[in-house]
Amino acid sequence: MRLRAALVRYGSRLLVLVAALGLWQGLSAAGIISGDEFPSMTATARALGDQAGSAALWTAVGQTLAGWGAGLLIGGAAAVALGTLIGLNRFAYRSSIGVIEFFKTIPVVAILPIALVLWGVTLNMKIALVTFAVFWPLVIQVCYGVRSLDPVARDTAAALGVTGPRKFAVVTLPSAAPFIATGLRVSVAVALIVDIVAELIGGGSGLGTRILVAENAGPSQYPAMYAYIVVAGILGVLLAGVFAVAERRLLHWHSAQRADTVAPEPAAVVPVAS
Amino acid sequence: MPRSLSLTGRILTRLWLPVVLAAAWWVSSAGSTSLYFPPLSKILAAVWTQWAAGPARAQLASSLEHLVTGYALACLLGVGFGALLWSLRHVRDATSPYVYFLYVLPAPVLVPAAMTLFGLGFSMKVVLIAFAAMWPVLLNTLDGMRGVDPVALDTARALGVPPARRVLSVVLRAASPQIAAGLRNSLQVAIILMVVSEWVASTDGIGYYIVNSQESFDYTGMWSGIIVLAIIGTVANLAFVAAENRILHWHYGARAVEGAR
Repeated sequence: MRLRAALVRYGSRLLVLVAALGLWQGLSAAGIISGDEFPSMTATARALGDQAGSAALWTAVGQTLAGWGAGLLIGGAAAVALGTLIGLNRFAYRSSIGVIEFFKTIPVVAILPIALVLWGVTLNMKIALVTFAVFWPLVIQVCYGVRSLDPVARDTAAALGVTGPRKFAVVTLPSAAPFIATGLRVSVAVALIVDIVAELIGGGSGLGTRILVAENAGPSQYPAMYAYIVVAGILGVLLAGVFAVAERRLLHWHSAQRADTVAPEPAAVVPVAS
Repeated sequence: MPRSLSLTGRILTRLWLPVVLAAAWWVSSAGSTSLYFPPLSKILAAVWTQWAAGPARAQLASSLEHLVTGYALACLLGVGFGALLWSLRHVRDATSPYVYFLYVLPAPVLVPAAMTLFGLGFSMKVVLIAFAAMWPVLLNTLDGMRGVDPVALDTARALGVPPARRVLSVVLRAASPQIAAGLRNSLQVAIILMVVSEWVASTDGIGYYIVNSQESFDYTGMWSGIIVLAIIGTVANLAFVAAENRILHWHYGARAVEGAR
């Protein structure tokens, strides 16, 4: 019975894919969409195949991942450190939360010209932008997480004489972890978007630039452009997937995580507490 | 909430840091002769002469036009298709991997493709914003509707509430907090795409203004564009929160009661 249900589910999904690709190819073949505007499915698939075997694609993916990863790491570490400090002190929290909210609402693209002036068209420019984009939403989540510390856990720690870095590691951080995870999940996606924007309009090397170069090269390169777009999408799926798996593994002990496994995807983007 | 702190005390704690930061920027940049980092006084003057009372007003207007049209479309499409997928279980099941793919696809990669399909004008930007910003709304709508209490739905059915009203007053209402969350995420996506699309290929809009100032070494103009973008982001967010509080106050009220139990 369950096998049949699974067959129906995956069969119908496959059917949708085949139908969509068939429709695409049919419209191109019938001349309803002209190849000068939108390449045919087979041409795009061929371009994707060619790209997969070429070093250029993997270099571009590597460059994109470098900006994404380094920015996420720096922004994430800074947000956890500063967010903890701010969250632990009521005066610091009340003083800075308004400023943090303000910076969070600034569209990151607004910062791009400043990053270009400071770092030029470099990897550091990309990293700086991703760091900025990741830091503000995450630092808020960390503040909330640290402030949500269960009073019982806090008092127990105090009674047992657990203080300082040890308290941070065994009490504060675990209790803030689900909040941090929610923030990180959003950050993983935001970081990729910002990284690609930095490439697309800032000119930093990576997938974004490749797509723009292919577009500028004219219709003969459109299949390659769409191949790169597909790759960017796959990258998005993979990064989100890896993060979801890591989160489930690391936070399986947390009750919110267990309840969450029913609907892991979109609901996740909802910011916790505000 | 702090009982020990008076209202003025609370306002002062919130205000001192922004004031200090702004003052620090003002003072440290006051004598600046750097081309890239003009004095804040000059930037603010440019915001006034260019944006509030000057020629850049047209850029601001066209940007807002792109944003509002695209975002409104995204909201309609997102809620509409979300509700449709919710009601058609098999279609939802069969399309879910592809909807998810479009949701995680970093939308700015579509800018060059949109340029080849729709040219460089108004429609390109609106289509791009609408397409990119609809997915968070769609998925959150779908998710919120899936969380609708079946008992409430059955009750409405048993009471003879017609289907259209059932969707409006039971399903949509129950899903609205989550739809609001989706709308908020979409707003950020929409603003990013507004700027990116104007930046890469356009002759109007804030993005165009910033890149144009930068290329003509008018860094004061560039900074004024950045300030305007920051203001748009903040105002849009405040307006959203205000609207949400107004429309969803019943939800927060209910949650507060539940929390008090």
